[in-house]
Amino acid sequence: MSLDTTAGAKPASSPAAGASGARSGGTGTGGGRGQGTGPGGPLSTLTVRGLGAAVPQALAPAVLAVLLIVFAVLSPSFLTAGNLLGVLNQNALLLLAAVAMTVVVRAGGIDLSIGVAIDLAALTASALLADDYVAWVAIVGALLVGLLVGAVNAFLIVVLRIRPFLATLSVWFIGGGVQQVATDGGSPIYLSRGSVPDEFAWLGAGSVLGVATPIVIAVLVLLIVWAALERSRWGRVLTAAGEQPTATRIAGRMAGTSMATAFVFAAGIAAIAGIILAARSNGFVANSGQLYVLDSIGAVFIGTTLSRTGRPNLFGTLVGVLIFALLTNGMNLVGLSFYWQGLARGVVLILILLLGVLLARDRSRKPLT
Amino acid sequence: MTALSAPPAPAGQAPSAATESATKRRRPVSRLGLIGYAIVVIEIVVFAVASPGFLDPANLATILTQSAVYAIAAFGLSIVVVAGGEDVVRGGIDLSIGAVLGFSGALVAVLLQSELGLPLALLIGLGATALIGLVNGLVVVAGIRPLLVTLAMMSIVTSLTIVITNNVKVPVSDGGLVWLRSGDVAGIPAAVVVLLLVFAVVAFATGRTSWGVKNAAVGQNPTAARVAGVNVNRHIIGSYVLAAVLAGIAGVLMTSRLSAALPGIGDESLIDILLATFLSIAFSRRLVVTITGTLFSAVFVAILTSGFSQLGVPSQWIGITKGVLILLVLAVAAIRERSVRR
Repeated sequence: MSLDTTAGAKPASSPAAGASGARSGGTGTGGGRGQGTGPGGPLSTLTVRGLGAAVPQALAPAVLAVLLIVFAVLSPSFLTAGNLLGVLNQNALLLLAAVAMTVVVRAGGIDLSIGVAIDLAALTASALLADDYVAWVAIVGALLVGLLVGAVNAFLIVVLRIRPFLATLSVWFIGGGVQQVATDGGSPIYLSRGSVPDEFAWLGAGSVLGVATPIVIAVLVLLIVWAALERSRWGRVLTAAGEQPTATRIAGRMAGTSMATAFVFAAGIAAIAGIILAARSNGFVANSGQLYVLDSIGAVFIGTTLSRTGRPNLFGTLVGVLIFALLTNGMNLVGLSFYWQGLARGVVLILILLLGVLLARDRSRKPLT
Repeated sequence: MTALSAPPAPAGQAPSAATESATKRRRPVSRLGLIGYAIVVIEIVVFAVASPGFLDPANLATILTQSAVYAIAAFGLSIVVVAGGEDVVRGGIDLSIGAVLGFSGALVAVLLQSELGLPLALLIGLGATALIGLVNGLVVVAGIRPLLVTLAMMSIVTSLTIVITNNVKVPVSDGGLVWLRSGDVAGIPAAVVVLLLVFAVVAFATGRTSWGVKNAAVGQNPTAARVAGVNVNRHIIGSYVLAAVLAGIAGVLMTSRLSAALPGIGDESLIDILLATFLSIAFSRRLVVTITGTLFSAVFVAILTSGFSQLGVPSQWIGITKGVLILLVLAVAAIRERSVRR
């Protein structure tokens, strides 16, 4: 979408800018993280540039491969089954948040309040368990609260027609305040080990056939959402409404309704993430869901570079999540202070998106000239 | 509707009927611009009645000083929103503005601690923010949504702030900053003087210069602006650079007000900056973001914050109120926009 508007913006100078951007970006991804040590640096730069110039869609997978190689070289414990499974387990929540975000972005919106849905669900579950309710009551309650956040978003965006990012930004602020009020100024809720029902604790720390429960749940949700988006009528209308809202309305499909269902559905998925968060951390700490906002948005838009038409897709989102996951884990293993991690994530996100746009622009220009 | 229900008129009178209904429809619009001012007056009256110390000159001076930080940063965001237009995908927004505010305040504080003079520290600090704005603008122009770019930049700049401050408070005792905090010019607090100066420059630049007109044109219709010979990309990049520099000035004011740079202050101020910017819609007849409106809404927000805390309302409720307020204004603007389109 954004490609069209700017491709015409500077017709004369863009090929040059594209080329120089690609060059600086290429060295940036290789040098920035590889620190130029060992054979990983120059080799990975070549991979990015070679594959990327051939197909912009290969950019994100190439970055993922580069990350795997660079960190495998830098840290011997990186490429072990235990570490990689641990990475997946840690990032199951991010995957859930990113899947939720994919649904919303596919419908043509954006949801900055995804962290609020996660937090309020975790808060509800923890508070209900702290009051000695059984596990399923806590889970259902948390899901309902999550869906409520989605319903509020849907009302603001579809009924009042506030632009999605402004509406969800406001909900983010309000949600932050609600958490403060509900916890008396942000004091965390801790559940003692005895008071957590076994089946609830299993959600966070258990395993199915040797695979950690959060991974299993995240993958199940991913498959269900994939089926809903790609194989159902709802998904088709949602995609159409996201890409061509006016045409969809004229064609007699309910663009507004599908946008509303997308926000509610996404908030429901975020609530699942919130429940797992509560189970894993044995309680609730205010604003812990906010961590997932930037990463999930970043993962979705990194994922769009995998699609020829720039459509948000779940496979791309998975690649994006893995990029962020490996980046964080690798930085921890290398011993980089958390001070720098926000910087690295932001830089990687901007570079991948920038490279994707510039490469796609160069390609789309070639047949014309 | 009016034209249809009127008795069938001869063909020659049809235009006059149409203009009549048009003026009828436009009449409430002219009153809309007063809503914001009315709310500010009501707010002041309510707080003056509810809390006796509210109308104290010292308290009013404090409120204006507090509003200076958010108003100056919000001027920048307003310029970005005006130049970026209302388009859903391309629409101008700068979420990194709070982080940039915190960063410049911290950078200047750190530079002052390392025995650099104030002028040089300010130059480096504001130069760094201009660089951040330049990156924002260049990436936006390359074709990535402003929302994504500035969200990523928020993460980067927040991280940078933690790195340079080592995640601890950086106290400042420089004479210039102390004067900014407690000095005055002819009885007007220094921060308010800075605010008025910046306001005069920004309001003049956006309202009375060809740059300002072109900026608005770029936001309203980029294609038409380009055809008319305006360098659209330069204006968009310029808007992000200006926003970052203004946020940088606001950050220095913030540091002087607190006599220290706090690493987390940037994220906290984002909501107030956004609120001041988007509330300005309520001060405009056409329900658009304006500089004068931004000044008044920043004062409104400062009054709200200080009035609530004087009444003893817990701070978490203030946050909720602010969020609801943004939504109210946006909802009114969206509904209004729809009725105009019909």
